[in-house]
Amino acid sequence: MTHAADVLVIGGGIIGLSCGFYLTKRGKRVCVLDSGGFADGASGACDDMILFQSKKPGINLELTFESLELYKSLRAEVDDNLGFANLGGMVLIENQQELEIMEEFVSQQRSYGLDVEVIDKREIHKKQPFLSDHIIASTYSKMDSQIDPFAVMRAFERKGSSYGMKVFRRNGVVGIERIGNGDYLVSTQDGTVFQAPIVVNAAGTWAGQIGEMVGANVPITPKRGQIIITERVPPIGETNLWSAKYLVTKLRNDVVVDLNEDERSMGLSFAFTRSGGDTYLVGSTREYVGFDKGTTIGGIRAIINQTLKYLPRLRDVNFIRAIAGLRPSTPDGRMLLGEHAGIDGFFTAAGHEGDGIALAPITGTLLAAMVCRDPGDHRLDELSPNRFANL
Amino acid sequence: MADDDKDMFICRCEEVTLREIEQAIDEGFVTVTDIKRVTRAGMGLCQGRTCTKTIARIIAQRTGKPLEEVLPKSYRYPVRPEKLQVVENEEFNDAKDS
Repeated sequence: MTHAADVLVIGGGIIGLSCGFYLTKRGKRVCVLDSGGFADGASGACDDMILFQSKKPGINLELTFESLELYKSLRAEVDDNLGFANLGGMVLIENQQELEIMEEFVSQQRSYGLDVEVIDKREIHKKQPFLSDHIIASTYSKMDSQIDPFAVMRAFERKGSSYGMKVFRRNGVVGIERIGNGDYLVSTQDGTVFQAPIVVNAAGTWAGQIGEMVGANVPITPKRGQIIITERVPPIGETNLWSAKYLVTKLRNDVVVDLNEDERSMGLSFAFTRSGGDTYLVGSTREYVGFDKGTTIGGIRAIINQTLKYLPRLRDVNFIRAIAGLRPSTPDGRMLLGEHAGIDGFFTAAGHEGDGIALAPITGTLLAAMVCRDPGDHRLDELSPNRFANL
Repeated sequence: MADDDKDMFICRCEEVTLREIEQAIDEGFVTVTDIKRVTRAGMGLCQGRTCTKTIARIIAQRTGKPLEEVLPKSYRYPVRPEKLQVVENEEFNDAKDS
């Protein structure tokens, strides 16, 4: 059996569904194809952040602002808050060296329009009374927000389906070929074939495998992030929390942060975010272990030890679950968004690593504009998949 | 079934009703894991120890799929709530990944 469409989106995670949704709104007949169930990939095993403070000034920070606005219109369009909250965020600083690096980073972000500042111990204590005394300073931004990925995905799917988008699950893509008129034929596990002039590769961590089917180089590597989830508890403090360690590592590869060998090999850093379900999501590791998305006792232990270092009083709180997701990471920390040179009609929208939730609506909107051949936006040149074409 | 019965909680931890679960099934979410992610049923304190089997039966009845196709494939640590202070326990600290 063959389904004909205007666009085939491969991957039904938050990015694929966003692409499908915004393409459908632009009048395209769209089929979204997914090998697994609902939110089986990274979109279902992550936290829920629209985080500004982790973004280097530049395209990622700029797009996060635009995405936040799009989330506002999406919530109005589907008449649902989608678990949106704006608690603000603090990045915890533990020593003088981290302070200097973070002060510089904060001033760069401020010059880029982000409302962020460095606050002292007294201010910290007001916002976070349970925080360990060894924290010497912190950043604070009231911009940092969050939204429930499951609610967003279901909203994209429901609303998109009401406009005519079709989603097919548990039926992986096994091959892509191009026929005489330029159309793509995408075949799937159960034998169904889909035909369209445009294919969007939104397969996230697995996008490299889809790219290979048409000879496109999509250098995406899985990075495993383990997270534990607490029971429902009253608010621990006013804001969500991160450790400066991760940002410092990301910004300055010459600086050795204070972690033991085990923690370093796991890429451990602290992320503590209150979810819409009144639980806390606590992470996280960043491990290169191929496509293994299992949780490990070592990972869980490292996350707990780190949590108790920052928030000792949490020793009496229960955790109810551990999860792991494979973040789609790229060599330069930026997503791939655009059409592949020499493979007309084949687009990739993947490689968001930890920014998939934050950047989902803007990714879908920009992708739809590209597919509809809107005038080009030169800011997006640095996201083109062709930067990796000859590697 | 009387319409009021549709308001009974299938997942008591997260207060998810039969109506919400049936609606999700009709939208094409046909495994216990799918239902959990779209309705939060089974995401609460008991982590589905109470409702997993009930939800599996509801899906099986409504879709005609066999139970083993709709049940989760695996369970992983922790299977019940565990205090964070578990790391102070030597046994946990020495535990290796199985």
